[in-house]
Amino acid sequence: MTAAIQTSGLGKTYGSTVAVSDLDLVVEPGEVYGFLGPNGAGKTTTIRMLLALQRPTAGGASILGLDPWRESVDLHRRVGYLPGDLELYPRMTGRQHLEWFARIRGEESLARARELSERFDVVLDRPTHELSKGNRQKVGLVLALMHSPELLVLDEPTSGLDPLMQHEFEKLVHEVVAEGRTVFLSSHELDEVQRLADRVAIIRSGRLVATDSVESLRRSAPQRVEAWFATPVDPAPFTALAGVRVLSAEDGHLVLRVSGGIAPVLREIAALEPLDLLARHADLDELFLDLYRGSEKAGDDAD
Amino acid sequence: MRTEIARLDLGIRRRLMIGYLVGMALYTFIVVAMYPAFKDSESLNKLIQADSTAAALFGVSGSITSVGGWLNGNIYANFLPLIMLLLTVGYGASSLAGQDEEGTLCLLATLPIPRSRIVLQKIGAMGAQGAALAVVVGAFVLLGNSFGLAVSFGNVAAISVSSLLLGLDFGLLAMAAGAALGRRGAAIGAASALAAASYLLSSLAPVVNTVKPGRYLSLFYWSIGNGQITAGVSAVDYGVLAVVGVLLAALVIILFRRADLH
Repeated sequence: MTAAIQTSGLGKTYGSTVAVSDLDLVVEPGEVYGFLGPNGAGKTTTIRMLLALQRPTAGGASILGLDPWRESVDLHRRVGYLPGDLELYPRMTGRQHLEWFARIRGEESLARARELSERFDVVLDRPTHELSKGNRQKVGLVLALMHSPELLVLDEPTSGLDPLMQHEFEKLVHEVVAEGRTVFLSSHELDEVQRLADRVAIIRSGRLVATDSVESLRRSAPQRVEAWFATPVDPAPFTALAGVRVLSAEDGHLVLRVSGGIAPVLREIAALEPLDLLARHADLDELFLDLYRGSEKAGDDAD
Repeated sequence: MRTEIARLDLGIRRRLMIGYLVGMALYTFIVVAMYPAFKDSESLNKLIQADSTAAALFGVSGSITSVGGWLNGNIYANFLPLIMLLLTVGYGASSLAGQDEEGTLCLLATLPIPRSRIVLQKIGAMGAQGAALAVVVGAFVLLGNSFGLAVSFGNVAAISVSSLLLGLDFGLLAMAAGAALGRRGAAIGAASALAAASYLLSSLAPVVNTVKPGRYLSLFYWSIGNGQITAGVSAVDYGVLAVVGVLLAALVIILFRRADLH
């Protein structure tokens, strides 16, 4: 089965600035793929290369089996795109935007556009420069979705949407995927991606730092181990263990961060006759923050 | 050929166009209506001839009270090209670079339309704007026949076309600069500088001998600077303007097909 998106060694430099470097991604059809990274990490540049808005300076990409530059017309027929910094024609109303797009996308897309507008409660009769960011974003979403694209590329899709609309948006994404279509969405917010995506790629300073399923990322996140003892304990044996950091050791209360195997830690704790023990995975948030900050071994030396 | 993009851009510039057209219609009417008051004025001619270089700067050479001199000195050698270039260079720079800076171009560029088609439609929109201006001015100039300003339909039509081609050439230059540089301001600057140099070359050529051989390099010379209002526009004139236009259009397509958009 042809991948929805496949890149190999994709890179973009502007003069001496490296925006994206050596990016290998595979997005399978029918999945929601989250593309995470802090602002300025290269998410938007990558998306622009996927959509033939910008030309890669290294490597290449195949979208729905098409070469973005040589087969851009076919590609654009089958892809829906919501830009991150969406700008509409300020004097035109939402309705004029939809009608104008329908002339190019095909008249049947207009019915779908009307349906979506109703669902998202889009303000259609006012010039877009009079609309709030959220309302403009809704027009942009309808424009990206109206031709029922096989692949949806959404750059920070929910920015400006109120929680109610975010919820509606999430429902829509699930529907799109249930129909076998693919969603590629970028975000700098973990929450959103966590709720929607099956798999994620994390990009920092133009480089991929992790690609994995959300579940397995969660499993690989460091654990926080707390143990209570009758008497104060010496943290030294724990510090000596690989992948373990002592966060605090006061009055018989020991807090550790464990990113390697848990067994040696448990053996050390057991030898000290603990009163109580608590172990849980750190928030995914922490893992992402680590990856964002760029620690070499995620979870090892942050906090 | 489909015209959605051309119509979209024309819609966006509708108010601006109406402003230009109403302004130029009024101006042209005043120039034409004033002709009877000046056509026998010896003093105006003396004033012009006393400093022919200064007059040449405004595109005037020879008698200003003759029919050709009056139309050249007030419309075709200065005011119409100026407004035409404001229109075409302004649109040329904004149609690609400006819309990219505003962020709307990526909406177009991710629709299933080849980039070359986007360029062709925008060139069409530029042509429509320039043609509207040339036609309105030409129509009011022809009204001059009721004010003792005897002009033939053929000559007015011809110089309208050559003015339009002049505008298109510089507009396409602005478009090419915009596609290459991605910035509207830089595109306007580059095209305006070349237009200004080209204008001076053509208008000073009749009075400044050192400039004279360079006039062939000026697009103004091939459009309005070689007595076209009275002598008509030659096939060579049309040919030069058209060939330059086609080459520039091809350049815009090549540049825009490779351009990085935002």
